Amino acid sequence: MSTIDSIRSRVTERSDDAGHPLGGLLRPPRLLMLPMVLLLLFMFVGPMVAIVVFSVQTGNAISLNPLDWTLAHYAEVIGGMLSGQGVYGQVLVNTVLVSITTTVITLLVSYPAAYALARKIDRYKLVFLMILIIPLFTSVNIRVFGWALFLVKNGVLDSIVSLFGVSNYPTLMYQRSTIILGTVYVYLPFMLFPIYLSILSIDDATFEAANDLGATKATVFRKILLPMSFPGVVIGSLFVFVLSLGADVEAKILGGGSIFTMASNIQYSFGYSQNWPLGSAQAIGLLLITVVAGIIILRTIDLQEIASRGD
Amino acid sequence: MSMKRSSGLAGRFTGGLWYAYVALVALFLVTPLLSLVVASFYDGRFFSIVDYQFSLAWYEAALNSGSIRSALTNTLLISVPVTILSTIIGTAAAIAYTRYEFPWREQFKLFALLPIFFPLILLGLGMSMWASVMNLGYGVLPSIIGELVWISPIVMFVVSITALGIDPNMEEAAKDLGTDTVTMYRKILLPLLSDGIVSGAIFAFVLSWNNYYIVSYLSGAQSTITTWIHGRMTQGFTPVVPAVASIIFYVSLLLVVGAAVFEYRKVTGDE
Repeated sequence: MSTIDSIRSRVTERSDDAGHPLGGLLRPPRLLMLPMVLLLLFMFVGPMVAIVVFSVQTGNAISLNPLDWTLAHYAEVIGGMLSGQGVYGQVLVNTVLVSITTTVITLLVSYPAAYALARKIDRYKLVFLMILIIPLFTSVNIRVFGWALFLVKNGVLDSIVSLFGVSNYPTLMYQRSTIILGTVYVYLPFMLFPIYLSILSIDDATFEAANDLGATKATVFRKILLPMSFPGVVIGSLFVFVLSLGADVEAKILGGGSIFTMASNIQYSFGYSQNWPLGSAQAIGLLLITVVAGIIILRTIDLQEIASRGD
Repeated sequence: MSMKRSSGLAGRFTGGLWYAYVALVALFLVTPLLSLVVASFYDGRFFSIVDYQFSLAWYEAALNSGSIRSALTNTLLISVPVTILSTIIGTAAAIAYTRYEFPWREQFKLFALLPIFFPLILLGLGMSMWASVMNLGYGVLPSIIGELVWISPIVMFVVSITALGIDPNMEEAAKDLGTDTVTMYRKILLPLLSDGIVSGAIFAFVLSWNNYYIVSYLSGAQSTITTWIHGRMTQGFTPVVPAVASIIFYVSLLLVVGAAVFEYRKVTGDE
């Protein structure tokens, strides 16, 4: 590490002797960072600021007027959530239940699978990994639609005929559990891969040493596996929790549009009621949780470690 | 990787159990995709597994439909530029982060990779309001810029992992041998990074090709293939939808498997 540092500092010296600041901007590190920074400032920071500013606008504003502001939308949303009355009470219960249940189920399902993939499975490993990756690269719409088709095909609902039948009304399952099936499915890989990578990073010798010293399987699990894979569990859980807070297509298609979650309610405020300030006020909660979780995840991930694993 | 060979019947049994469990999880993950493909070949208006008949009719209908073709064209008009630009932006940022030391380096990484963790609905609706405030309008161009925000960081992540695996002394050695910066990039750094860049570009295309949330907020009246599918899905069942969704899925599958095989050949070739 010390050699790397010394070389890095030498490289830095070279790139910093650019003279005036504009010259420095046009040389490698700055020049290479520039497109990303400009892109994100314009289309990432800008939109997030727009959400914050819109959330304090009055009425049904669709243009910004920072001098004329109000906290009425927050009062409406938070008041509704606290009293548990009306749509916001329901939205809060649905969202929290869906997200927490999804996180717990994906964790319980993924952990043994990640362990098996990292340490027990040798043959066909690439095939298994491919199957786990492919859903990540398929539109969420298509996957959720596939579930809708599947549930119908197996006759889980007795309304097969009415679903694909003459009535042009998609009578899917209108249930929280169907939405959870959808979110578990969509976000499972986000739990599995961080745990898989963290278990993969444990040295085989650690397990061998523990076995040689007579540790029981339970002890190995409690003292080695669990603590060493903990970063993966944290990253995966945050990932799944945050992403399932934003689950909208799952709620709309599998929930049949009758179960409102935070995401679908935000969607509704923007789409049907055209009330940007109210939608923004609801989105602020999601934004705050996302930023905090994102920073924790990024601080926990060690890119160097992933790279050195060479897979 | 050294795998401990479990001996005896009991060992083989528990080994089999691990395989069975992972196979079960894999089955869960492919279930909706398989259902989709099965449904797409079904000949008939009302789906039923009892009198299943194989048919290519809906694929034909999909490829002959004008609205589907224009949606496909719009998707390509967005995803091709997104692939090229995000590969350039992401690779440049990855090289800056991994091959140079500069003040605020960790903060730069944190900022640049943060959009990956955002629920797309949040990005989409923020961008939609921003596009209105800034008079960007809605259509292909705002969709391209919007998708770049999410996809460029992913390319940066993929390329960074490749770049961190390269010997940090490499640039120094090149400089000691009198190579100028441009030659060093062209002849050494970029060829060494090519694997990561190719994977990053493939991922970028597939993610853009499948993107729904961002384009649904930014594409305005132009329908892309994913917004077309979503529109039809919420309106009720049309038998052509599984066929269209399957076509999208085949393209993604082909590219992702291609990328994996490419990576795998590289890995086994090195050993």
